[in-house]
Amino acid sequence: MTTSAIVAADHLSKWYGQVIGLNDVTLSVPSGITGLLGPNGAGKSTFMKLVTGQLMPSQGEITVLGEPIWQNPGLYFRLGFCPEQDAFYERMTGLEWVTALVRLNGVDEARATEMAHRALATVDLTDAAGKKIGAYSKGMRQRVKMAQALAHEPDLLILDEPLGGMDPIARRRTIRLIKDWGRAGKSVIVSSHILHEIESMTANILLINQGRILAEGNVHQIRDLIDDHPHTVHIKAERPRELARRFLAYDDVLSLKFEDEAVVVQTGRPDVFYTRLTELAAAGELGTIHEVTSPDDNLQAVFQYLVKS
Amino acid sequence: MTAPANVTKPTLLASTMRIFDLSLGQMLWSRRSMLLAFLVGAPVLLAAALRIASSADRLGLPRIHGARVGGAALFGMMMWLLYIRFIVPVLGVFYGTSLIADEVDDKTLTYLFTRPIPRAAVLFGKYFAYLACTVLLVLPSVVLIYLLLGPIGGTLGEAFPTLVSDLGVLALGLTAYGAVFAFVGARLKRPVVIGLVFAFGWEPAVLLIPGYLKRLTVAYYVQALVPHAMPQNSVVSQLMQALADAPSLPASVVALAVISVVALWLAGRTVERREYVLEQ
Repeated sequence: MTTSAIVAADHLSKWYGQVIGLNDVTLSVPSGITGLLGPNGAGKSTFMKLVTGQLMPSQGEITVLGEPIWQNPGLYFRLGFCPEQDAFYERMTGLEWVTALVRLNGVDEARATEMAHRALATVDLTDAAGKKIGAYSKGMRQRVKMAQALAHEPDLLILDEPLGGMDPIARRRTIRLIKDWGRAGKSVIVSSHILHEIESMTANILLINQGRILAEGNVHQIRDLIDDHPHTVHIKAERPRELARRFLAYDDVLSLKFEDEAVVVQTGRPDVFYTRLTELAAAGELGTIHEVTSPDDNLQAVFQYLVKS
Repeated sequence: MTAPANVTKPTLLASTMRIFDLSLGQMLWSRRSMLLAFLVGAPVLLAAALRIASSADRLGLPRIHGARVGGAALFGMMMWLLYIRFIVPVLGVFYGTSLIADEVDDKTLTYLFTRPIPRAAVLFGKYFAYLACTVLLVLPSVVLIYLLLGPIGGTLGEAFPTLVSDLGVLALGLTAYGAVFAFVGARLKRPVVIGLVFAFGWEPAVLLIPGYLKRLTVAYYVQALVPHAMPQNSVVSQLMQALADAPSLPASVVALAVISVVALWLAGRTVERREYVLEQ
């Protein structure tokens, strides 16, 4: 463990009864932006819950910003957490909710409201600040979760799958926001099951699977490996058939099919595809793109290969 | 770890009040409150029916088991049978056990447990929100019943001292039951089932048994505060009257305060130490 590490784990394990969530992990996360990449069930959320002190280690130790996190509420002044789960006080407006949570940091009502307004503006939710969260779209819900995490300007932001369900424009803005956060000298740990997402934010990646850290650092080989596997993207849009017609012209698109109001695309070059998709969404010529998701089986095959090799 | 220079580290009391602010609105407009409002509203409808029936009667007094009963006695019976023995424990079980469980089920606990406040403040704030919410549910309905039944064969002024003391008893009952079930909810799995068994199995059974066991109930102390004579219209009631071994009023109040404080402290301690695993 190094002293400059923002998160340091020493033989950290966590199990739920007979099920192992995290298995003997020793690592140190440097300051800056770090991506935690792994398929569903790999242990990403368990690791994030240990980092945020929601879970107690079954074995080993974890320190965050140099201090143990379990039963150390004072550390939360410096932490912001955006969980994966889509859970809210649905009857509150975005502004009320973020303000109420910021007030728990010991901030008075007027200042908390000001901080909440600023945070909502940062995630482009100013116009929807007075709307009830229950009426928000999936992407807006993701963004209001981000707002509550960053409103108090923490030193370390922990984001569990923050881009899930966002439309391409919101994705691009959120990625930019995370990069700006890193450039401002703050640290971010961000999890995802999509390499392309993580790669667009940072080159510093932790690969996790079956509760173990498989690799850490700048993992270009993984990128090559993942590029060999087709990547599936699920796009919910206003006019999916017109979108599909456009996709057919792209040389990186391997196949496509329709599911309800969505078009499901397999691409051999996800980075190129996502860039084009964002441009299409920004132009708006083929209607609104509501939501972009990617199933984690993209990574699963690669990780199985990695574990075997 | 200290708070940043421009903010004060929130105290337990300040954190509790902020959780209270956050929770009260959620609790008041929850589905649980809507359902339990019907439960609390039922005695008001019954009182309205009795009032109408008494207006139709020449003497203006309804009959129960052939005997004519005045408004004050009817009010007392409703307090005893419906509120103290049924509604207060039900509210205690359904709200008290859910203080933390609701946040776990809704997966919103994460937002509260990743803030720089003692975890116990989450429980305490929600407990006080429960008290405010249930008092807002129960007390208006009791006052309405009093206004409907009080004038039957008497005046509103005559029964007013009874109303005040009944409101106090109900508030004390809600305080004690809520604290006990808050602990059950924080500590045990299936807290609603355990709470219902405690309130409607253990307590009535143990109250019938002579000896010290009844002191391990909340009902023993709450029922000792009731100013009305227990109705003699059932074998169980008569048996309970015969075996009555009621503590004095000050002893009951102190016992309820001790139960509330100890149960809340245990609940807070449990929440501080327990790990809550939210399903993904």
